[in-house]
Amino acid sequence: MTTWRRRTVWLAALLLLWTLGACGSPTATTITTATPITLYTCVNDTTIQPVIQKFEAHAGAKVDLFRAPTGQLNARVASDVRSGGLKADVIWACDPLTMQDYVAQGLVGGWTPQTDIPETVRTPDYVGVAFLYMVALTRKSAPAPAAWTELSRAGKVAVPDPNVAASALGALGYFGPDFYADLKDKGAVQVSTPDDVATGVAQGIYDAGMTIANSAYAVQKSGSPVTVSWPKPGAVAIYGPIALSKTTTNSGPAQDFVSYVASRDGQTIVGSSGSYPTLPDVAGPTKPEDAPTVNPDWQSLASQKATLLSDYAKIFGG
Amino acid sequence: MRSGLARSAIALLLACITAVVVVPMLVLLRTSWVEGRGRLAEVITDPDFGSAVANSFGLSVAVTGLAVPVGVAIALALRDPRLPGRDFWRAAVLLPVLVPDFVLAYSWLRAYARAGLSSDAFGFAWPQVQGPVGVTVIVASQAVPLVYLVTVVGLSTRAEPATERAGRASGARPVTVLRTITLPLLGPAIATAAVLIFVLTLGTFAVPQVIGAPAGFSTITTRIYADLALGSDPQSFVDAITLAVLLMVITLIVVTPADRLLGGRLSLSRTSARDSDWGTASRRPRILVPIALALYLIFTCGLPLLALVSAAFTRAVGVAPTPGNWTLDNFLAVLTPRTGEALGRSLLLAVAAGSILLVLGGCTAALSRTRSGRAVSVLVALTLVLPGSVLAIGLLIGYGRWLADTVLIILLAYLGKLWALAHRPVAAAVDRLATAGLQAARASGANLPTALATVVLPLLRPALIAAWALCFLTALHEVTMSSLLYGPGTETLAVVVLNSADLGRIGVAAALSVLVTVVVVVPGGALWMLGRRSRHA
Repeated sequence: MTTWRRRTVWLAALLLLWTLGACGSPTATTITTATPITLYTCVNDTTIQPVIQKFEAHAGAKVDLFRAPTGQLNARVASDVRSGGLKADVIWACDPLTMQDYVAQGLVGGWTPQTDIPETVRTPDYVGVAFLYMVALTRKSAPAPAAWTELSRAGKVAVPDPNVAASALGALGYFGPDFYADLKDKGAVQVSTPDDVATGVAQGIYDAGMTIANSAYAVQKSGSPVTVSWPKPGAVAIYGPIALSKTTTNSGPAQDFVSYVASRDGQTIVGSSGSYPTLPDVAGPTKPEDAPTVNPDWQSLASQKATLLSDYAKIFGG
Repeated sequence: MRSGLARSAIALLLACITAVVVVPMLVLLRTSWVEGRGRLAEVITDPDFGSAVANSFGLSVAVTGLAVPVGVAIALALRDPRLPGRDFWRAAVLLPVLVPDFVLAYSWLRAYARAGLSSDAFGFAWPQVQGPVGVTVIVASQAVPLVYLVTVVGLSTRAEPATERAGRASGARPVTVLRTITLPLLGPAIATAAVLIFVLTLGTFAVPQVIGAPAGFSTITTRIYADLALGSDPQSFVDAITLAVLLMVITLIVVTPADRLLGGRLSLSRTSARDSDWGTASRRPRILVPIALALYLIFTCGLPLLALVSAAFTRAVGVAPTPGNWTLDNFLAVLTPRTGEALGRSLLLAVAAGSILLVLGGCTAALSRTRSGRAVSVLVALTLVLPGSVLAIGLLIGYGRWLADTVLIILLAYLGKLWALAHRPVAAAVDRLATAGLQAARASGANLPTALATVVLPLLRPALIAAWALCFLTALHEVTMSSLLYGPGTETLAVVVLNSADLGRIGVAAALSVLVTVVVVVPGGALWMLGRRSRHA
């Protein structure tokens, strides 16, 4: 290789590394007036982006977002804890069990904002700001269940894995293993996530399934031949709590963000961007009038989690 | 190689292997030992762990047993320059590499499961697609392109057409020539492919998760994922790390003796100069070859990829892909300014990863006869088998204080995960390099770098191109590591799509795959055409 060719290769390599470094640089639109708040969440982009945009406009602060499915979010938090401490100022989880685990480790909690959100979805450490509802999804050609006990009449049923999706764990906690054993006896199968259930039912691989309302209405709205129903005694409600990090060095703006999400304005944005708000009189996505809902006992579920999953594994395999 | 260059190569290897493999592995080992040693017996004696290990092993053996013969057979079939449509077949065989694992798994479901494409079009469904058989077939179909590539590299660097022609001229039948000349010469390449596929299958996750779950089929990787999903509980998180460490131990037990056994026994020295002329067979190629290829590709690529494209262009899952239901909405969801930025970042990362890995893989291959080279090749096999999320955790714990949220930590993850993919194809080619040409160049006064560039690199070009392409394509649509390591302003393309639509919205994911395929195939095809024109000019 000649000298000029070697130089060219080195120059190209340096240029590539410099460009890669530039990839991580803040963009020109970055707000630099204050230290940004770091938010960790598993809430979907459809909801979290409008909430962040409105808050930034409202408070003049910037929010740095890390969004990932629950598994990755947990892994990120656990890695942070083992490498100098939690880097998030605020965590917005998708289920109370995850947040309870974070509280138990002393990572979050100790403060909640003033809000009209009901006591049933609040603790001294966190406040529920969005609901997920576990509903029934059936093919147009199959009978929609009026009660959960009728789900298997629709035909081949799919359920989400409670080892993977907290919403599925909430449903397992509410219904109990016997309900799932009965479904299994009638030919039900377990898939990974509620989204997989929705996709499978929409395609016709399964005749019916349990999935979250957001996924169910998303496939229905796109035109898939499915029916969404809220069987009795009710759709299982799983609330997504938000909490302040105990180690935040940016507590003022972080508290402002939590307060904003729990406020009427914040809840209105949550409701208009595809999630179900927890503030009762704020409009949200599609929900039939008088649709029944039920709430698992999250405190007892937290202590029974291992037993429940072990019993469940005997039914559907591990 | 005992020059300064060799010492530099060893120093580079040691620095890189420490940074991207040793540190994260030590972090994982420490976490598992310090926080999880009290539960080790419990994890190992869990009956579910036993079945997961058995399933993982069974799957790896079955996939290796399926993919290696098929991949080698396809490479040998496509060797004949007079095979009709050879260039098309060559490109078609590689198509599965362009599609992310999880999307391909959904594509197979849409193609063959109940109410899928085959059911709608031909009234035929394949219920076993959801279960161990389906997982085996799909993972094997993903592995075949890799076996094919490694074998092609082997054919271009190791085979000896002159010897084969001599055998045929002496009256040997084609099968005899294949058995006594071609396959023995290809031995190291086939062994390389077998070890690589075995390790890759041990670490495969997306297909068992999507396809195996409905049949209760769990592997070590799906159990790790389940533990991570419940990872807000420290015990579950540590169990996941412990399972990953056990997976590494299993891999170590398998790969080390395999490498020693195969590396030693199958090495051969070149007996003739490089000869790319395969000559002419005595008969026209049998029509059976293109028919068999067509049937294989329709089953493993055609229908699943057609299902993928139809999902990308159809407004909803479960509606017929007729013109009335066609839409560009899935593409509009993907084609945003944010996605454009992320695509540029992903391309740069993939180019950087492919280029750096080419150097690292080449150095590892060049040093494969040394103790340090062998140790490096085993170490990088361990990170290949590690689930991406676990390797990312190791990097986050190791470097998170300084590199969290940067593009550099994502690049380190790619280097750690894909090193073996760069090394093994090159290693399969490098051990048969004739040293005579190199010695002649040195004797003529060329320094070592010049001799390497003018004598060795041209001979290794097919292997280097294959290794670079594999790493580039894998990095381009990687999602499990980058979704854990990204931060503000460092999202990759797959992360943006994952965030804008959870994986359940398969239409958007399918549109992304089509987009990535176009981004790769169009410039790649143009370059290939230019290359052909310049060669024929």
